[in-house]
Amino acid sequence: MLNFTPEERKVALFLLGLAFCGLVLSNLIKVNCRLEARVYPQIQLARLNLNKVSLSELASAKCVPVKLAQRIIEYRDFCKEFSSLEELKEVKGIGGKRFEKLKEIFFIE
Amino acid sequence: MKRLLAGLAACYALGIILADFIRLDYWWIISVAICLFVFASFGAKKARLFLILVLFLAMLAGCLNLKSSSNLSQCHLRNFVAYKDSCIYSVSGFVSSALESKHGLYWFTLRAQEIQVDKLKYNCCGELLVKMDFEPELNYGTNLTLTGNLRRLYSFRNQNQGYQNFLARQSIYLVMSVKEPRQIIRRPGSSGIKLIARCLALRAYLEKLISRHLPDLAAGILSAMVLGQKRAIPWLVNDSMVKSGTVHILVVSGFNVGIVAFTVNLLLKILRLGRKTRIMLTAICLLIYCLMTGSTNPVIRATVMGLVFLAAYLFKREPDIYNSLLGAALFILVINPRQLFDIGFQLSFISVLAIVYFYPKLEAWTHLELCRIKILKFIGQGCLVSFSAWLGTLVIIALNFRIIAPVTVLANILIVPLATLITLCGFTLVLSGLIYPDLAHLFSLPIAGLITLLLNINAVLVKLPGAFFYL
Repeated sequence: MLNFTPEERKVALFLLGLAFCGLVLSNLIKVNCRLEARVYPQIQLARLNLNKVSLSELASAKCVPVKLAQRIIEYRDFCKEFSSLEELKEVKGIGGKRFEKLKEIFFIE
Repeated sequence: MKRLLAGLAACYALGIILADFIRLDYWWIISVAICLFVFASFGAKKARLFLILVLFLAMLAGCLNLKSSSNLSQCHLRNFVAYKDSCIYSVSGFVSSALESKHGLYWFTLRAQEIQVDKLKYNCCGELLVKMDFEPELNYGTNLTLTGNLRRLYSFRNQNQGYQNFLARQSIYLVMSVKEPRQIIRRPGSSGIKLIARCLALRAYLEKLISRHLPDLAAGILSAMVLGQKRAIPWLVNDSMVKSGTVHILVVSGFNVGIVAFTVNLLLKILRLGRKTRIMLTAICLLIYCLMTGSTNPVIRATVMGLVFLAAYLFKREPDIYNSLLGAALFILVINPRQLFDIGFQLSFISVLAIVYFYPKLEAWTHLELCRIKILKFIGQGCLVSFSAWLGTLVIIALNFRIIAPVTVLANILIVPLATLITLCGFTLVLSGLIYPDLAHLFSLPIAGLITLLLNINAVLVKLPGAFFYL
């Protein structure tokens, strides 16, 4: 029954190892909920926090022109913070099309 | 000549470049080609002369193919539309691509069959890009009639840059913006190739399967790595990977095709099938995977190379990497010679060519084969492969993207093995999801963890001092 070729053994080991990792991780997450945040990729890795991003970060990301980045920061300083992403439309230079792009770049905590 | 196919491909590509730079008359090229053909048939006995003439003929074939590809047929859709035109057209045809979307915008290509202008109907051919800001329920092959303005794109940039030229390389010259759903009228039946429709439907199903087991971000990255579907990749992740020079892991390439071939072959081996049957079935699976991932240049390159290697394995011949690589380039360029000016095509082939050419030389120069510690040898080989690819693509990336990223070498050493593991796990997830969905959930957790690790490593590398700089 265990007359496997070396390649088949490697595949079986890989599958078993993967399943074993999955079991261990799912148990660890059940025991400690904080681990979930470590295992699943967080939104901070894919988007910028609109209420915390600095001008230099915004400019270096090159997602908006420097002037517009300045206006976004000025608006945030004026209003203390953005309460929703929709508020970005209030900034001069952000129309419907640009907003569609920006809402996939920023997030609000 | 040991590498005749490679020589033919190189001369053919040279012909395309010549035809692009120098304005050669079509009939002049044909007359020279006829003369060369006559000379070649007379000089068939002298091997060297014959070879030179054949290579010249390949060059002229490249010139001719580029010239003829820019001449559109009389019934082409573009010939019915003027530059500044406000007419309402009615175009009938079928959807010839999968529906794509980004930033709330949806688009697909329509293969036109009939156009109606001022109540007069004409048969036509050619493709049309259709854009809209609502999601239509359309699949590949759906028969449609679209009503609206047709717009010809004009580029102010040079011949090979800009959006218009990008579309022209895909034989698309017209765009229709659809504002309302009533502009789209479905017609009964479906057209197109059934196999492509099935492959695209399978891709959509697998995408849903991945997103069922993983959170959005991880699902988007895995879909890009396994299925070549990049639409769910966040801008910041893509940008960060461009800066670290590892964006190639987010597209389906030779590496993925290799994994598919290896996995299929292994599964068939476990089923104790014969060698010939295994090779045939692996080749069929490679073709299906190529169609499923959208038949992009890197996938076509890898599929053709894979088929050449399988054929060599079938006929028990020694495959030549240069012949198979440049044979794949020739295959793509014969179908569409303008692909030579596409940055994706250039990067795909030059990176592989650079690895094949530089790696053995660098390995001999560094005396890596003398290293007895396996792990050090493995890391060293990774460094050299990464450095070879970086060296080969450095100029093209600097000229086109205005970025030089020295961190690329280090980033690839760390990220590529991780991406390999993620891709292998991704294929396992997809296969288990098809066979036994409960098991797929078990596999999804390690994948999510690995993707998190990959994104964190990439974020750290990009923040290193001197990691990248813009020109």
